[in-house]
Amino acid sequence: MALLRYLLRRLVTMVLTLAAISALVFFIIKLPPGDYLTNQIAELAAEGDQSSLAKAQFLRHQFGLDLPVWQQYLVWVGLMPGPNGWSGLLQGNWGWSFEYNQPVNAVVGQALLLTLVVNLAAVIFVHIVAIPIAIYSAVRQYSIGDYLVTFIGYIGLATPSFLLALVLLYYLNRWFGISIGGLMDPAYADQAWSVEKMHSIASHLIVPTVVIGLASTAAMIRRMRANLLDELQKQYVVTARAKGLSEGRLLLKYPFRMSLNPFIADVGNILPHLVSGSVLVSLVLNLPTVGPILLQALRVQDQYLAGFILMFVAILTVVGMLISDLALAALDPRIRFAGRAA
Amino acid sequence: MKKTLRRGLASATIVIALCLAGTSARTAGTEASGSEPAGGGTGLVIIGPDATPPLPPSYQDAPMLAPLVESGKLPPVAERLPKTPLVVDLKGKGREIGRYGGDLRSLVSKARDLRLITVNTYTRLVVYDEKLKLRPDILEKVEAQDDRIFTFTLREGHRWSDGEPFTAEDFRFYFEDIANNKELSPAGPEPIFYVDGKLARFEVLDERHVRYSWDKPNPLFLPTLAQPRPVFICAPAHYLKPFHSRYAQPAKLAELAAKAKLRSWAALFNRLNDPYDNANPDMPTLNAWKIVTRAPANRFIFERNPYFHRVDPEGRQLPYIDRLFIDLATASLFAPKANAGEVDLLARGLSMYDAPVLKEGEAEHHYRTFLWPIARGSSYALYPNLTTEDPVWRALNRDQRFRVALSLAIDRRIINNAMMFGLGLEGNNTVMPESPLDDEANRTVNATYNPDLANNLLDGIGLTARNAEGVRLLPDGRELEIVVEVAGDSRDTIDVLQLITEFWRDVGVKLFIKPQEPGVLRNRSYAGRTVMVAGPGLDNAIPTAEMPPYEIAPALGENYAWPLWGEYEETRGKHGEAVDLPDAKRLLDLYHQWLETSDVGAQTRIWKEMLRLNAKNVFSIGTVTRELQPVVVSNRLHNVPEKAIFAFEPTSYFGVYRMEEFFFTE
Repeated sequence: MALLRYLLRRLVTMVLTLAAISALVFFIIKLPPGDYLTNQIAELAAEGDQSSLAKAQFLRHQFGLDLPVWQQYLVWVGLMPGPNGWSGLLQGNWGWSFEYNQPVNAVVGQALLLTLVVNLAAVIFVHIVAIPIAIYSAVRQYSIGDYLVTFIGYIGLATPSFLLALVLLYYLNRWFGISIGGLMDPAYADQAWSVEKMHSIASHLIVPTVVIGLASTAAMIRRMRANLLDELQKQYVVTARAKGLSEGRLLLKYPFRMSLNPFIADVGNILPHLVSGSVLVSLVLNLPTVGPILLQALRVQDQYLAGFILMFVAILTVVGMLISDLALAALDPRIRFAGRAA
Repeated sequence: MKKTLRRGLASATIVIALCLAGTSARTAGTEASGSEPAGGGTGLVIIGPDATPPLPPSYQDAPMLAPLVESGKLPPVAERLPKTPLVVDLKGKGREIGRYGGDLRSLVSKARDLRLITVNTYTRLVVYDEKLKLRPDILEKVEAQDDRIFTFTLREGHRWSDGEPFTAEDFRFYFEDIANNKELSPAGPEPIFYVDGKLARFEVLDERHVRYSWDKPNPLFLPTLAQPRPVFICAPAHYLKPFHSRYAQPAKLAELAAKAKLRSWAALFNRLNDPYDNANPDMPTLNAWKIVTRAPANRFIFERNPYFHRVDPEGRQLPYIDRLFIDLATASLFAPKANAGEVDLLARGLSMYDAPVLKEGEAEHHYRTFLWPIARGSSYALYPNLTTEDPVWRALNRDQRFRVALSLAIDRRIINNAMMFGLGLEGNNTVMPESPLDDEANRTVNATYNPDLANNLLDGIGLTARNAEGVRLLPDGRELEIVVEVAGDSRDTIDVLQLITEFWRDVGVKLFIKPQEPGVLRNRSYAGRTVMVAGPGLDNAIPTAEMPPYEIAPALGENYAWPLWGEYEETRGKHGEAVDLPDAKRLLDLYHQWLETSDVGAQTRIWKEMLRLNAKNVFSIGTVTRELQPVVVSNRLHNVPEKAIFAFEPTSYFGVYRMEEFFFTE
């Protein structure tokens, strides 16, 4: 019952948070002078393109860009009927992308899947690499191995990811003939799914995974190591050791589990990161992900596209936070008890 | 500024050899004039086919289409071609006869840039050839009576890419049902259809003949149709009619529009009627290749148009190349991808910065890097705003000595060495040596490096007071700090400005570089808020006397040197300010004179005086020009000129070099 009330309270705050975020997002997007169409009109006029100019004027009215900003906002969210009636986010209409001249869902849909693939690969890479190294360097603190992996980790943290990306691209192309950039060899772009295509995608995933992962790997190693070191000092470890538990079993059963807590709290950050992370790297590597679309949308003031992506990320953040809170409560009795005491 | 307009069709006596040297296609002297005055003095000019090779006895088909013909899905080639196809004179141009096949790979940085394919594949009603003479392309013949009455003859049996006939109805449909439809064109027909506020009369003479006529000459009509971004005055009626309210059920249209999430039939129609952007794969075309990929995608494929109207002298229907593969890639990856041999033809998006990377991969990945000069008045120019709103700055910018002093204080040699490996051409923002209107003096006057004279001139204006830093003070006591606004994405221009900052400091002038979003910059300029803007020089730097000199007269508001004067001229005095500087007034008068004469001698005289006035007054401060454009060409790709001018205007990038004649060897 308490949990249910807690959930309800969280849900209400979530809705309020999202409402605030949506207003903020929309007004910030609208802050620069002009809108997508005024910029477009200026560009077209410079090219002497009279007919598109008329088309742009036409669109301007069609999409209600001639309304005041606050009205545009309400129409976008779906709290007010616009030129097309009641059709906003609340009604499930994600809006129109001017840059692509398509509904937003058509633009973002395909990119979302690939974004998830890339970032999931990176997240998995980070965990697979970072956790064993962190355990090693915590258990063998101040050994040569510890210094070595720490050193490598710092290099990974300090190297600009876009530079590393370009270097890797060049040499992978030179040595292994993997085509530059993209998520697959262009030859497979229009083909049906096949073993070769999967293989091409897998080989093109190497660079983004390594590049995106490397920086967070270093950070993760350091945090995990610190957490473990804290735990390893505690008395229950000594007790367990005194009771004759084997070193490996001891390590994984108790201190390791304790040191995972902060990472579960992190789920709230990882979820939005899966969508919006790695913008810079995606841009450099020419990955067809959401990041470059968002950047371009913000640059040309493609307001509904940018607004939708930002809202989507916001929703993921809020949901991620909820999930991590619930998971923490479920996993760690101390947190539950603490809540009850208060 | 991108409008190339070519005044008059009186036989062009001046031929610009666009191809500069070497192995380039050239047939000097033997060129038969395509535009011949007929019936002496009647003013009738016929633009007909050039002295082309005779029609081949039989036609050949691309192997790619053979299976379709065999299975009966496509008629044989002879039935697909017009009765009189355009036979291209490959030998006359010094080109090889090609072979069929192959896919050409290239890159664009965003899907919207697919419109560049329409520019590069340059198929228009009339086109410029390599020597910038107008020729019929889609049309078989154009007759122009006094530049007033234009009669177009279509090719008999010409078909759209879906096999439907291309007829006078397609012109009527555009003129009556698109241009003059209030819902589709709320602003009315294109300005090109108006002369002195009067709309063109349009007549369909028969299936193959249409006529546009005005009471007064409209010398801009044909050149507008030949632009890289032309006005498309015909549309595939058979395809578009089902989406037009005059021909379809309103209820059905509303349903279609709602399905596409659009509010009205007009919105849907305008989206489907897409002759330029390559966003609608269903739209029939007359171009050499037709887009088949629907967005969004990462590779866009264009396939040969089986009804294309050009053939080689041996009767092979063009294009030679089967398909174009256009991949989306981040601009920063263009050079690495070219280096890895992942493109067959690429120019736009590459710059001289990439030259080392491009050269490095040549041998291993079997391509060549040509360096084509870019046609520009000046690659980097400064525009003191003569109509800026701040009265102190306005007075200063209008002082000819001030502008000359700023120009003399710039050491162009250093800019040339820093930006162009010393290969550039130093001087004012004026036409390039390839133009018949070029005069060496216009490039060098007021454009040498002479800081002492510059200092003297500035002292002479009365700007003698300086602050502790040695920066001169304005009459009202402010620092003489010129805020130069520049489009934030033009990295090179910002680099040049940094050099100029150093040069100007030597004469006590401070420069502050302010990068702006291009749209914001334009709006600020229109409003007269800029003091000085940096940007590229003349767009059309290889004009003939028959092209209108609007870039060097205060005629357009988009010119950073005089936005308010230009606006005044454009709006016929409704907005902006009247020109009140004697030499600028003279420029505008000359421009008006040019618009009223059809005599090439007078046009040449006007052009030359205008260029001289511009150089003398330094209305824009030029630096260096003749930047080189790297063009990556696969070793297997033939018929690409080794040396040529690269420009959007008037050559449509690869357009006038005819991409359908390029071909692959094994």
